[in-house]
Amino acid sequence: MSAELLNYPQPSQNRGIFARLLRYMLPHRGKVALSLTILLVATATDVFQPILIKIFIDQYLIPHHFPENVMVALSVGYMGLVVTTSGLNVFQLLLFQMLALEIIQTLRVELFDKIQETALSFFDQTPVGVLVSRITNDTEAILDMFMTVLSTFVQNITVLAGILIAMFALDARLATYCLVLVPVIAGVMILYRRISNPVFHQSRQQLARQIAKLNESLQGMLVIQSMRQESRLKREFGEINESYRRSRFRNTQINGLLLRPLMDVIYFFVLMLVLWYFGERSFADFVNIGVLYAFVTYLSRFFEPVNSMLQRMNFFQQAMVSAERVFQILDNPLLAPKPVGTDDPVICRGQVTFDDVSFSYDGVSDVLKHISFTAEPGKTVAIVGHTGSGKSSIVNLLMRFYPVEHGRILIDGTDLKTFSVQELRSKIGLVLQDPFLFVGNIASNIRLGNEKITDAQVEAAAQFVQADTFIRRLPEGYHAPIGERGGTLSTGQRQLISFARTMVTDPTILVLDEATASVDTETEDAIQMALKKMRHGRTTIAIAHRLSTIQDADLILVLHHGEIVERGSHQELLAIGGLYHKMYLLQQGGTRDLI
Amino acid sequence: MDYFISDCESVLYPQQPSLQARRERQAFVHVFLDLMWFFKRNRSRYFGGIVLLIIVAILTLIPPRVVGIVVNQLTNRTLTKAHLVYALLAILGTALVTYGIRYWWRVLLYGGSIQLGTDLRNRLYQHFTLMSPQFYHQQRIGDLMAHSTNDVQAIQETAGDGVLTLVDSITTGTVVITTMVLTISWKLTVISLLPLPIMAYAVSRYGKMLHDRFTLAQAAFSDINDRVQEYISGVRIVRAFGQEPWERKNFVQLSRDVVSKNVAVARIDSLFDPTISVIIGFSYFLSIAVGAVFVVHHTLNLGQLTTFTLYLGQLIWPMLAFGFLFNIVERGRASYDRVTTVLNIAPEVKDHPDAQDIVPSGDIHYQVRRFCYPDGSAKALQDIQLTVRQGETLGIVGRTGAGKTTLMRLLLREFDVADGDIEIGGHSIYQVTLRGLRRAIAYASQDNFLFSATIAENIAFANPDASQAAIERNAKIADVHQDIMRFPNGYRTVVGERGVSLSGGQKQRISIARALLQDAEILLLDDTLSAVDAQTETQILDELKKNRVGRTTLIATHRLSTVEHADQIIVLEQGTIVERGTHQSLLARPGRYYNMYQRQQLESLVEQGGEGR
Repeated sequence: MSAELLNYPQPSQNRGIFARLLRYMLPHRGKVALSLTILLVATATDVFQPILIKIFIDQYLIPHHFPENVMVALSVGYMGLVVTTSGLNVFQLLLFQMLALEIIQTLRVELFDKIQETALSFFDQTPVGVLVSRITNDTEAILDMFMTVLSTFVQNITVLAGILIAMFALDARLATYCLVLVPVIAGVMILYRRISNPVFHQSRQQLARQIAKLNESLQGMLVIQSMRQESRLKREFGEINESYRRSRFRNTQINGLLLRPLMDVIYFFVLMLVLWYFGERSFADFVNIGVLYAFVTYLSRFFEPVNSMLQRMNFFQQAMVSAERVFQILDNPLLAPKPVGTDDPVICRGQVTFDDVSFSYDGVSDVLKHISFTAEPGKTVAIVGHTGSGKSSIVNLLMRFYPVEHGRILIDGTDLKTFSVQELRSKIGLVLQDPFLFVGNIASNIRLGNEKITDAQVEAAAQFVQADTFIRRLPEGYHAPIGERGGTLSTGQRQLISFARTMVTDPTILVLDEATASVDTETEDAIQMALKKMRHGRTTIAIAHRLSTIQDADLILVLHHGEIVERGSHQELLAIGGLYHKMYLLQQGGTRDLI
Repeated sequence: MDYFISDCESVLYPQQPSLQARRERQAFVHVFLDLMWFFKRNRSRYFGGIVLLIIVAILTLIPPRVVGIVVNQLTNRTLTKAHLVYALLAILGTALVTYGIRYWWRVLLYGGSIQLGTDLRNRLYQHFTLMSPQFYHQQRIGDLMAHSTNDVQAIQETAGDGVLTLVDSITTGTVVITTMVLTISWKLTVISLLPLPIMAYAVSRYGKMLHDRFTLAQAAFSDINDRVQEYISGVRIVRAFGQEPWERKNFVQLSRDVVSKNVAVARIDSLFDPTISVIIGFSYFLSIAVGAVFVVHHTLNLGQLTTFTLYLGQLIWPMLAFGFLFNIVERGRASYDRVTTVLNIAPEVKDHPDAQDIVPSGDIHYQVRRFCYPDGSAKALQDIQLTVRQGETLGIVGRTGAGKTTLMRLLLREFDVADGDIEIGGHSIYQVTLRGLRRAIAYASQDNFLFSATIAENIAFANPDASQAAIERNAKIADVHQDIMRFPNGYRTVVGERGVSLSGGQKQRISIARALLQDAEILLLDDTLSAVDAQTETQILDELKKNRVGRTTLIATHRLSTVEHADQIIVLEQGTIVERGTHQSLLARPGRYYNMYQRQQLESLVEQGGEGR
């Protein structure tokens, strides 16, 4: 995160990103137009208020002439305008905010959809935290920008325009003089942006450095302490802290020189201009005190919107950074493999064939080399090998998590590429090493969002894998809540639930990626029983760590560095006296007399 | 001033003050009292800032007054050129002087609060360096980071915006109202201020509603955050089970919920400004209408009325600010509490009052009857009687969790033994300073954490002034020199989070070089060769033997080949020593060491693909 803070897009890129963000407003054209209309009406009723007071002062108060009906009309009119303005403002403020929220909702769902169809390799490369932060925090920063643009900038610019128009209506010449405000304020804004932007960036960078330093120090505190470097690190942190302080202070200085205090000076100058104008005219002519009053009122209102716009300019930059990151994901070309052709073949027998398959994650080193084997319908093929031999890659390819680039994988003689996602997911059941459970309850974890599965089916699946007994023992049975990552359940219990989850769809082909984690003997027995039952009558590809569990496999493949080095049945392989034999001895020892 | 505080509070809570309100009021005073040490230390800065704020409050009274006078002269047609010039000069003078003063107080007050933030962060960092592993075990790094960033930021805001808002609203409020009462009309003041209490009430009321709804919105946001986190962690399951449509539905639902909760916030938020406008509009209306009556009765002139409405405009901000003040102060208080809680945790491991500041040297003697980690009830070590002669190498083997690392951590005093003692050269390690003890020991830990710095800086971590020659010499002993030279920038290659990624073996060897550079009498290698292949390992061990004559080495490992040549080997199981001897003597009889050895022989065969035998 710290490193990311350092990368700011260039201003030229900013414009493109901003334009792309604004495009999200297009579908809401109608609402935008409605809100703008209300805003315009509200601004009109708002700037009309001082004009009523001007009329009152000039035509009635100074001549001391107060006809009752006119007074009532003026009072009602004035308060009417005040209330109408506020009422309309409530409405348009709400509309604009809802619009911004609506846009972010669209963006979030779009982002989620994109992530759903992104290739799995993307998830290998991107830390979970980063992705989560893209969907939530970065979109939140963009939301801030929409709120700022819509609420602050559009509103304030409209109000400013309204005030200027009202001034013109009252006294065109004086208003023309006051127009000088526009370039002056624009100039201050540009100047502020130019001066404060680098300092703002600098202070953000220093903050990022500070956070990085602190984070690293906390993680490596034991090293620091055991090497007695506390005072050096303290000094280093102090220096970063001090330079952060200095840039924050410079920020304060710039804000003090260019924001509110300067705006007040400009206000006073314009006030002087107005007084001078009326004073000069009074020597030759009669002046309307009411107009003077109205002008002074307008001027005092003029600067609030300007100040709030100035203060929010820095928001922008942060939103642009976030938007750039979000768009990077939206533009990511790495997509999950999609079905080829429109044949929609169906899996019925469940024969699986690997035909000279080679595979590489990085395009450099092959993790699988020329893998060929066939799993006949209903038979079990077990794949063994030590860590890193490429076993899990076989699962990744068969599940079509990654595209097959060299060689072919066939199911019932048809290329894996041509099957629809639905067909694959419903006919191939996967049991992963890590029995990942979602927050919810036991039933929801077995059903996994498939609402067509009935309670009876859920229970049948649980019974089938012998999970029913322990589930019924829980106080809430199938509705027992499951916390983050399975929380209260034991590893073995989690495993049984993940078996039930697979079996509930009654798959034709079973892919088992066996867990390495050890479980207690009682559960282990239940797991082995369940596995045996699950494999019965189904084509099974089993990745095994414990050779004891696959002794009855029809074919055992021994994988070493991505190659099949031995193949045959348990007895055949033992007879060869090769790698499998050694592994077998090792595990026999492991269960017999060692530790 | 006192009068104004109490007045304002009764304004905010017109009814019987609730418990909540009372607590808030306490919090309000409290955090400023808590920060008094800082205000006192920066007395002149804060005093100056407050005086300047008061001066500004008084100076800004001038322009409305000038406008009023000019209006009167215009109505009476008594305005002369000279009058006009004076009037303009008065405004010009005010403009320039207030510009300077406004800049000045900002620099004083905000500069002070930034200083406070900096000081607090330094204090926290200093505190972190004193804390032992126990502390880091109990606190999450994320929380500690949050205390040092967000919480400090909130406290900083209290000392900056908080103080400013408090002082500014009180001074401006007092000065403006007093002037209205004294120089214009107390009756008109009272009448036109009538609606303002409603505004203050509305602001605090909306504030509370906003706060509540915002909390709900935050909770919805955190729900979706958790859900996305879970989804991405379990993405393989989601794909394997074709669960995508359901996940999408779920996500859309949750994000809809976020929207609706935020719309609830927006509903209040959009009421905020318009409500204030209505009330202020009403106030203006009252002042003009009633003021007009006074003008007709000649108790007020038109200029005074104009001045009055301008003053009224100046009161809006202090009233509003007072409503916001509670938010700032409330957050500041909660943050200050969290920061002080952390700062008040005393270090677990510290120097004994009469500890000697010497570097212990000699035989290491463990005599630990029993040791448990502070949080766990299960014992980590029991009945450890062990002597390692100066210059010897001790091998420590055993399964994960057998107590190998604990044995080393006790020597480093990362934790203190309550029941037993550890001596080095006859000195109890509890009777020497931590500094002295740690100078005697170099530790290459299991996780071999490297810093985001160059390789050279990492190796020279314990001694930043070490020469390049010394760095390279130690890198060669750890057999990582050639690896380093293969990087484009050699020793100046940056590693760590933002640098190149190293293999596990490279990291381990760099951390060994780092430990060697300490040139300490005792070297602890805690499973630091596990990711290094057997041949490299032998090379490193040979080099160590050559370069560390007369010095003590403790090696904890899973791999028995690492300790084959150790002078003494202990086998740990569940915190006790179950076997001890040399490699030869241990292999001579069947036991745990013997079994482990056989097993590892087989394992290495399997790893090599079963060739050879």
